[in-house]
Amino acid sequence: MSRSQSISSQSKSLKITGEEIWKNKVEKVNSELFNLTYGSIVSQLCIDYKRDFKKVNEQLFSMGYNIGIRLIEDFLARTALPRCDTMLRTSEVISKCAFKVFLNITPTVTNWSQSQDTFSLLIDENPLSDFVELPMDAVNQLWYSNILCGVLKGALEMVQLDCDVWFISDILRGDPQTELRIKLNKVLKDEIPIGED
Amino acid sequence: MERREPTEHQSAQQQAQLFEKSLPKVNQLAFNMLLNELVPLSMAVENDIHDMAVKDSNAEDVTVEVLAGDVDKKVVLKDDDTEEEKEQAPKYKIGEQSHKLIQQIYNLDDEYRSNSVAERIQNVGFQIGSKLCELLVFSNNPTISFRDMDLLAVMKFVCRDVWKQVYGKQIDNLKTNHRGTFYLLDYDYKPIQTFALDLDPEQQEKELKLVEPFLEIPVGIIKGVLSSLGFPKDEVICVTSFVDRPDDRPRSLFPKGVSFHVQVNRR
Repeated sequence: MSRSQSISSQSKSLKITGEEIWKNKVEKVNSELFNLTYGSIVSQLCIDYKRDFKKVNEQLFSMGYNIGIRLIEDFLARTALPRCDTMLRTSEVISKCAFKVFLNITPTVTNWSQSQDTFSLLIDENPLSDFVELPMDAVNQLWYSNILCGVLKGALEMVQLDCDVWFISDILRGDPQTELRIKLNKVLKDEIPIGED
Repeated sequence: MERREPTEHQSAQQQAQLFEKSLPKVNQLAFNMLLNELVPLSMAVENDIHDMAVKDSNAEDVTVEVLAGDVDKKVVLKDDDTEEEKEQAPKYKIGEQSHKLIQQIYNLDDEYRSNSVAERIQNVGFQIGSKLCELLVFSNNPTISFRDMDLLAVMKFVCRDVWKQVYGKQIDNLKTNHRGTFYLLDYDYKPIQTFALDLDPEQQEKELKLVEPFLEIPVGIIKGVLSSLGFPKDEVICVTSFVDRPDDRPRSLFPKGVSFHVQVNRR
């Protein structure tokens, strides 16, 4: 009982931290501008790859990865959060702090696997894909917001969590919700310099 | 002291500001990183396309078949979205790291390929610019008037409203000869403020060259805005260069300012 209480109070304070930082410490920019910028990038990629959407997905992922490995530094500096000891905690930090601070949204965490190493984020208002409608030929192949997967993958890797991140559904594809899945493969070991114990 | 009622224009302006504030926002850092990441992305795409072209020329006959086969592939792909697959993450290959890609742009000795990288970056900027223009048209801001806009008014619009929207500040200086030539000077161009330069002048020269591709984005944006206001792409020339910052300006992080030289040739 007391344990679950302490977890819920922790998650409340994470929420407050996230909102506090968003309100006071973040320079902001119009979300529509962000939206149309991302749209322009995706559309240019589709042209370059002659509508080979698998390649587009891959390139968006790779781009996101490169952003993620640098974004995490800003995040850690801004929030000063300690290392998470469980995936449960990690999921809370991602949804309540990270998404709040960078995109001003709070996805819902659900669908935990039995082993507590895989969970889903339900993104109901995705600032990347507002006003977007996929053309017919892209509907079944393009993961429009795949950059998010890359960002999460890169950022988590930098905190020693080797994860797989992928979309399993997207409103743009006609699914009822946008669901992103995160699966922990393993916790990477901290490297100790040779000769030191 | 007598308090005057705000004029109609003032209150309209206030309303527009309130409206602007109420719009959804995202973190500027996220936006900036997205914009800047466009540069290494363009190089990665260029590499990919180049590799594919090399492969294609090795197997010319196959290309035709692949194109013809495309249609069938799409139909097949539809059904493999089974439940089991949902627990399996698709394997994405992670490409090269950004800083290596930027180095590659610098080292490209093939002029055709380096142009195609620059063009790719500009194209995205162009799209951003033209859509942004529409966004501003519908922003209901009473200070922006699109009626009877001459070229000077358009350039002022770029300096004031477009820059404000994208970079959170206005252009520092606008110069013109009133014959279609403009210089737009931004002494603290936002997206490159976090870039560090070597103090050694020789190294600095090299590093400025590395930063140059990042300026293709605003070039594209300027061209995009101009084109959606009636000055098509092929009538506009826009080139960038680094300029020294005036001594009386407060120190900024990046030691150089940026100058955009815009020339409009009306037919």
